[in-house]
Amino acid sequence: MVHVEIAAEELFAIGPLIVTNSMVGALLASIVLLLAARWFTRRAAVVPSRGQSILELPIEFLAGIVRGTGGKRWRQFAPLIFAIFLFVLTANWLSLLPGVGTIGLWEGEGEHRILVPFVRAGAADLNFTLGLALISFVAFIAFGLRANGLRGYLKELLVSEPAYMTPLLTPIHLISELSRVISLSMRLFGNVFAGEVLLATMLALTTATLLVLPLAFVVPGVFIMLELLFGLVQALVFALLSMTYITLAIAEHRQHGSDDHHSGEAPEQGTAAANGAA
Amino acid sequence: MDLTQLAAGLAMGLGGIGPGIGLGIGFSKAMEAIGRNPEASGTIFVPYILGLALTEAIGIYALVVSLIILFT
Repeated sequence: MVHVEIAAEELFAIGPLIVTNSMVGALLASIVLLLAARWFTRRAAVVPSRGQSILELPIEFLAGIVRGTGGKRWRQFAPLIFAIFLFVLTANWLSLLPGVGTIGLWEGEGEHRILVPFVRAGAADLNFTLGLALISFVAFIAFGLRANGLRGYLKELLVSEPAYMTPLLTPIHLISELSRVISLSMRLFGNVFAGEVLLATMLALTTATLLVLPLAFVVPGVFIMLELLFGLVQALVFALLSMTYITLAIAEHRQHGSDDHHSGEAPEQGTAAANGAA
Repeated sequence: MDLTQLAAGLAMGLGGIGPGIGLGIGFSKAMEAIGRNPEASGTIFVPYILGLALTEAIGIYALVVSLIILFT
């Protein structure tokens, strides 16, 4: 049986601040991103070198999607979306490096003796994903307030089109706004945490065959490839959903007959997808 | 008798039915759309990924619940 700890383990405490191994993982991701950004900006050229092209690849990929689906005000929120995408992607992929989750100290005695790793995947802790989801929540409320004003925002939230439906629909609106935070954070946490458990389980299942067949090297390797893909998809999904929520919040005044005919079909498709987000 | 492991298995197994059907429907429709109009695959990609994520979330909830049952 594999031992799995749902909460991140405590490493040490600085005063009242308890540092967990997930925080170390998230911090490492930030450091990697900062170093990459510094290296990137110092040597950036109009005609990119080979390394610069590789770094520009994810940005260009995401910029294409944001430009296509974000409506005409995509420049306002593009930096936030890029930051979320790069941070989640780096944190996810760093957690696949050897040593993450496996190097640590043994704690406890006898039956309860467990390994406390020094570094754990950032997103394998609900605090990390909940923090990101709250940032996204504050962002789409702030963008909605800025685009529609306080009155317009509250009207959108509290008043429904046939007036007699208001008592029924207002709680649904409120719950669906709040449930976005839960669904965003739970989705990322569940995927990354399940990935860790999956890798540990596959390794535990095949360790017994080590002396007969080299399955213990092959089988987890296949799943690590799968985790590379999932890490990318989950980072993309988190960033795209945040973008869709922001686009929805900005575009809500469209129903009141403004001149937004040029924003294209793509935001409406996003709208259709995000309406099921509750 | 300890039913914890049975509960975790049931939570994940039953919770996987709905998202499985939903993902299958979504994927088959996306493939149909690309088959009819191959140039639209770029436009279909983003809404498809979003719908996939929203459908899959239900399965992830079941997974989180079953892991919590199993390991706490």
